[in-house]
Amino acid sequence: MKSEKNKQTVGKILVYFGLIIVALASLFPFYWMFVMATNPNNLINQSPPAMVPGSELVANFQKVLDSIPFFQAMLNSLIVATSVTLGVIILCSLAGFAFSKLEFPGRSVLFVFILGTMMIPPQLGLIPSYFIITQLGWLSDLRAVIVPGLMNAFGIFWMRQYISSAVPDEIIEAARIDGCTNFRIYWNIIVPTILPAFATLGIIVFMAIWGDYLWPLVVLQDQSMHTIQVALRALMDDRVRDYGMILSGTFWATIPLIVVFLLFNRLFIKSITDGAVKS
Amino acid sequence: MSEPYRKEIEENEPQEVNSQPPGNKPAKKKARTFSQKQRNIASGYLFISPFYLLFAVFGIFPIIFSFYLAFFQWDGLGDMNFVGLNNFVIIFNDPLFWKSLYNTVIIGLMGTAPQLIVALLLAFALNSVLVKYKGIFRLAIFLPYVTSIVAVAIVFSVLFSNQESGLVNSFIGLFGFDPITWTRSEWGAKVAISAMVFWRWVGYNTIIYLAGMQSIPNDLYEAAKIDGATLRQQIWHITIPMLKPFILFTVFTATIGALQIFAEPHIFQGRGGRPEGITVVLYLYRDAFASNFFGTASATAIVLFFIIIVFASVNMYFANRIGQSSKVGSK
Amino acid sequence: MKKYGFMTGLLTFAVVATACGNDGSEGNAEGNNEASAENSVEANEEEAEVTSLGSEEAEVELSFWLFGATGYPELAEEYVEENPEVSINFQEIDMEDHHNNFFTALSAGSGAPDMAAIEVSEMDSYKDAEDQFINLNDLGAEEIEDDYLDWVWEIGSSVDGDFQFGIPTDIGPTVMYYRADIFEEAGLPSDPEEVEAMIETWDDYREAADTILTETGIPMADNPETVFNAKRDQAPESYFNEENELILDSSPYVKEAYDEAASMIQSDYIDNLAMWTPEWGGGMADGSYATLLAPAWMQGVIKDNAPDETNWRMATMPEGAGNWGGSWVTIPEQSEHPEEAFEFLTWLLAPEQQMKAYENMGLFPSTPEVYEMEEFVNTTDEYFGGQNTAEIFAESALEVEHVHKGPQYGDVNTEIIDGLFNVMDGADPEEEWEEILQRTEQRLAR
Repeated sequence: MKSEKNKQTVGKILVYFGLIIVALASLFPFYWMFVMATNPNNLINQSPPAMVPGSELVANFQKVLDSIPFFQAMLNSLIVATSVTLGVIILCSLAGFAFSKLEFPGRSVLFVFILGTMMIPPQLGLIPSYFIITQLGWLSDLRAVIVPGLMNAFGIFWMRQYISSAVPDEIIEAARIDGCTNFRIYWNIIVPTILPAFATLGIIVFMAIWGDYLWPLVVLQDQSMHTIQVALRALMDDRVRDYGMILSGTFWATIPLIVVFLLFNRLFIKSITDGAVKS
Repeated sequence: MSEPYRKEIEENEPQEVNSQPPGNKPAKKKARTFSQKQRNIASGYLFISPFYLLFAVFGIFPIIFSFYLAFFQWDGLGDMNFVGLNNFVIIFNDPLFWKSLYNTVIIGLMGTAPQLIVALLLAFALNSVLVKYKGIFRLAIFLPYVTSIVAVAIVFSVLFSNQESGLVNSFIGLFGFDPITWTRSEWGAKVAISAMVFWRWVGYNTIIYLAGMQSIPNDLYEAAKIDGATLRQQIWHITIPMLKPFILFTVFTATIGALQIFAEPHIFQGRGGRPEGITVVLYLYRDAFASNFFGTASATAIVLFFIIIVFASVNMYFANRIGQSSKVGSK
Repeated sequence: MKKYGFMTGLLTFAVVATACGNDGSEGNAEGNNEASAENSVEANEEEAEVTSLGSEEAEVELSFWLFGATGYPELAEEYVEENPEVSINFQEIDMEDHHNNFFTALSAGSGAPDMAAIEVSEMDSYKDAEDQFINLNDLGAEEIEDDYLDWVWEIGSSVDGDFQFGIPTDIGPTVMYYRADIFEEAGLPSDPEEVEAMIETWDDYREAADTILTETGIPMADNPETVFNAKRDQAPESYFNEENELILDSSPYVKEAYDEAASMIQSDYIDNLAMWTPEWGGGMADGSYATLLAPAWMQGVIKDNAPDETNWRMATMPEGAGNWGGSWVTIPEQSEHPEEAFEFLTWLLAPEQQMKAYENMGLFPSTPEVYEMEEFVNTTDEYFGGQNTAEIFAESALEVEHVHKGPQYGDVNTEIIDGLFNVMDGADPEEEWEEILQRTEQRLAR
């Protein structure tokens, strides 16, 4: 009995030890980012580089504000990322529901097709895609990023996998017997059950859109329309590379993301406990 | 790749037999003219239609254009010259193309295979009732995913500095190793790029597995405990089989992601890359945007497309076999 | 024809823009419709989705894409004040992104700005596409040609000189920056004039390198790239001839520059610090290398990385200066108002404004008239020990000669620089050179 308990304690210590190592390894580069964001360039570049936070926190950020419309860009990013996230969650969960629980001809072919679209390297479509956007008149318009962003094969795949695992067929059958339409089944049964999947997909989509720069860079040309990643690119001057300023920009652009993550994280946990109470 | 898939899909099909309610619902007068089967077909198509509509507008044209371009020589501004299969001949004869393919596979293996395993272990730990402060650990593990690629690149280029005084070089110096020229040595470049990939994406996969584990109903474990199952048996007979859809998801997306690795080497080794770290997408990006050789870039994209199909199918085939023999499942 | 074209272009645009709800242009629509009744002489068949309309009186809004920190938006404020009918919308981003964006817009056939800067190393890859640009000679560029250094103007022209793609902004005449303290420690003279007298040729440079290495253990140069660039840019031809044929294996100059760099690597005169890495920047403060062969704009980088250093000086480059950097502002064919754009550019890049850009941002003028200006001639720099820095740069700028680069210049250059770093990592220079030729051939076959 005692040895069993000891074994458990040892196991627990090992688990914590592993978690702490991983957490530190994850956090270290982030800490360092903060160190660089608070130091002048010459201290960052010296060897060995600065390892403790410096005194340039405000000065570096002031340089960022002088160089780019930081808050406007943050707002644009927020608008884009939020709209895409909401849209993707809804569209992908509907499609995921259809692919996992509804029977229709060509289902597997259509699904494989969606998986196939994920395999196309996106870098090359830049010129024709740009052409489409100019034809739509969406240059320097946030729609140029939002609308194509709604097309999300990963999201459909993810939702299909989640729904097929989390929603037993019996519940759907029971609801049908009660006369529920497919949309009501989606709304009243699927959605509440898959809230954790919403939180996960939400975080992933939000981060992906927030971090994307290749496409927004090409279509959002007006400085007032820049997303934060595009704006931050402007800090990468070709001749003078002020790492302190660049990392200050990226650091402050990251803080709101942590807040978003914490919010979703809470939803994530809350929905799980809700689910547990119900069952 | 469709084979394992179809199999999976069939397992989840709703039972057709029960789906037709007996006609004892007077309220649904209109609906009665359509069978449940027809209604499922209609809503099925309706629910998936947005993707295809968006794809028709934003997806098809670029793809056809790329396919078309693969048979032409084009500098992006001047005339297009039809060259038949010559673009494919050029890239297949280019040792650098094969090198980029080799690099992609190696970096993909080093960056993603350990990543998925570590993510699975982390998710187990974070899902365990025994562990406290889950929120903090989860945030810490997920944080790298939140940082921008620009920051990652700068931080890692300082970490993996070529100088003897660089952090990683100082660290391995403690164990008596010679400093490594990270950006230009065959394995150094691959290790540094894989480390970047690992660091940035491990949290992402952890979150996916965690979500998957939390979709498993608790009563399955309760029942197993009553039957006297050990922790290992629970993991092997409940968690793994129930997690299979998620494992398939991560294997598939990680395979695709690994074969499309671009940002990390692009920033670590500069615009054109170097032979030690160039990946297939970087190879095609360099042809297209550094040199304006759009024909060979398109040909590379098409070849890459088929390579991805092969790798994804093989990986899915093996991933699909995980835990198959001991399937407990929801049936 | 073009003159009236831009008004109708505006009108077409206003309609399209309103339809898409683009940046608050609803307010303009009414005013434009009125104007359109009076003025709808000719329909404009060109696409007009570009955002080129800003303020309430339907002014001409010009868009201007550039990269790096130029300070041009601040300079332009004065112009906009004096010319209220024009407003200018700047987009400043990273250099690589800028060129990719601009290329995409030209290639897709729409969405290009009224003005776009092109960097010197990219310039030739646009020259095959004359139909994508307005020939600035048609707008009167010939009249201002004499304001600019000949070699600079030529970089912005077609090979035969008939077609003018762009107007020059700044240039980067190269000099030899060096550390007085390291020179002194090695027992060499450290005063700029003495250094110039001592290092006149590459042989002198090697000799000094040898002394410095033996006396102090410090390498002469930061990396093979800067040394190779310096010598390459002194030659009358580079990687391609004017027919854009590769001349790497027939022309002696590039091989000479390569051999020089390779042999200096093997004598340990050259350090391993690749450009733009933190350790390279750190080396400016730490004194990791004795000289830095670099253009005028590098002084800002040095000051930034080594703010407390007092030992940096500059001297003329051994065997003559080259040019590194600078750009040319073009007007794409897609522009709806090339004349207004041209008028603005002739103002912005005129000697007076170039003087201001030099004062504000250190952009070295491409207009020799400035070199005579009093405020320019008297520029001394305390950081460089009170040297008259402008004079040295001006002297270099006048020395440079035009060398044809060719559209695939960047590809060849990448292969050579990669090769030099391979030599640094232990490759045999001759074998590596053969490899470079092979790799280059592979690339150019596409």
